[in-house]
Amino acid sequence: MPAHWLEAYVVLAGIVLLMLEAFLPRKEKFLIGCLGIGALIFGLVLLFWAEAPENNKEMTRFYAWDSQAKFFKGFALLAGIMTLTLCLDYRKILAKFTANPDSDDSTGEYYCLILFAVAGMMWMASAKDLVSLFVSLELTTITLYILVAYMRRNVGSLEAGVKFLILGAISTGFLVYGISWIYGATGTTSLAAIGETMSEENSTYLLFGLALILISLAFKVGAVPMHLWIPDVYQGAPTPTTAFLSVASKASGFAVALRVLQPFFENSITAEKTTFIVAVLAGATILVGNLAAIPQTNFKRLLAYSSIANAGFILLGIAAWNSKSDLSAFQVTGFYLSVYFLMTFAAFFILGAIHRDSGSDEIAAFEGLGTRNPALAFLTTIVIGALAGLPLTAGFFGKLFAFQAAVGASLWIPISLGFVGVAAGFFYYFKIIRAMYWRKSLKTSPVKVRLLSFYVIAVLTGLIIFLGFFPQPILWLLGA
Amino acid sequence: MASLNDYLFVSGLLFAIGLGGVMIRRNIIVIFMSLELMLAAANITLVAFSRLHISANGLPDYDGQVLVFFIITVAAAEVAVGLAIIVALYRARQTIDVEDLTSMRG
Repeated sequence: MPAHWLEAYVVLAGIVLLMLEAFLPRKEKFLIGCLGIGALIFGLVLLFWAEAPENNKEMTRFYAWDSQAKFFKGFALLAGIMTLTLCLDYRKILAKFTANPDSDDSTGEYYCLILFAVAGMMWMASAKDLVSLFVSLELTTITLYILVAYMRRNVGSLEAGVKFLILGAISTGFLVYGISWIYGATGTTSLAAIGETMSEENSTYLLFGLALILISLAFKVGAVPMHLWIPDVYQGAPTPTTAFLSVASKASGFAVALRVLQPFFENSITAEKTTFIVAVLAGATILVGNLAAIPQTNFKRLLAYSSIANAGFILLGIAAWNSKSDLSAFQVTGFYLSVYFLMTFAAFFILGAIHRDSGSDEIAAFEGLGTRNPALAFLTTIVIGALAGLPLTAGFFGKLFAFQAAVGASLWIPISLGFVGVAAGFFYYFKIIRAMYWRKSLKTSPVKVRLLSFYVIAVLTGLIIFLGFFPQPILWLLGA
Repeated sequence: MASLNDYLFVSGLLFAIGLGGVMIRRNIIVIFMSLELMLAAANITLVAFSRLHISANGLPDYDGQVLVFFIITVAAAEVAVGLAIIVALYRARQTIDVEDLTSMRG
């Protein structure tokens, strides 16, 4: 089966489910979610059987099929599966703030929209022309606008939606203006051809265009200077959307960033300046994300700042593109994102369980968890430790590879900022562990966790520990 | 006849007006109009550059002009979703002023 049928398959599955949704009884819309998970798992199976698309002019110009495309397609599919699983447990809250609080009535579309966003992300993974890149990126972003503002009876969700919409539209403006300048300087929109036509005369215009595109990609991955939306949107959006935004949307942003930056890093005319730009972004992002996280008291907001900080560490790995270390920038990014996937989804599943128990996202809601549900508290401790980058967890290797690459490229200033960031990270992540074990809670009733959530958290935590000892499986997937 | 530089100057000016509008104005509808100006600036730049790059058969390089159609289409989709969200916000809060969007702080 040619690879580009995969995206068509996912879109088709979304449309079929949307049709089906109209005929299902009001109380049984969650079946759409189950079918969606099934469709995405089948898509993941198809990904292994997919072969390169036919070798005609249209496909070779617009559609890349290499290990990077495969990895990010699989990543988007897996993230979609996890998000839909999270939705199944979250659908009561979703229903509470939409049309009909007593039934699942208007939650069916939510699952379908996630399928469409996944299709957009899969196209982004393969986009190697600025046109296909723009269209697939917008497919994802516009779907995400709806997913963020989905709870239309909830003021927080709507405000988050409007903020996301305005900043997203600004970033679209920067993206197309940047594309137009790159097109003007080279006469082509194909990224491979841009590398070939680069010269001393047009490099200034190209770098101007690149800077504009980087601003819009910074919005996608949540890096400085476009990080301002992250805390508010993460806090206001429905929790599954937040998880989806912080994992899948960030990963596809990095997939696109790797493609766009490749010709600039690999051409000696622009390599040095590009390294400088990305290193500055990385250093600033690490510093802002970690330092702003310190005073937070809301766990969802803390995760938002932590996602900014993690974007900074990944950017550090990308800035070290021409590094002397063994791993390529794609491998460092891919590894970090895989680890980040495990940690962040585990954290959001835990947040979902705590939210169902206490109705609050505050860190105070974790108080007394050590006695109220020791198993969950233990798993939470491991996840938090991995987020902080504790050795013997996968989080440690993610940061280690990023720092190794940066050392190979002698980026000393961002590296020192990175150490400040890691130290700050230990402080704010451990606030949650302190709340769980050292603070007494007024409530003593045990915290109930849905069986599905508990198994998912346990499996993700197991993987975090396993990869903390043997990172090889992921590195093998990335072709190292 | 207007030269390439004139077109680029106009489009740069439009982009700056759009960006300024987004930053200064407080009404979400006006912000949305400013965002459309930014996209229009990119479209003008693309068409101007498309006329600059003459391909081998003497015609302009139409890649840029095709991209303009994509941008127009995507902008329309964005406006449709965006206005729906703004209407939903107005129903919930009776306001379309960004200064009032303060339910989250931290």
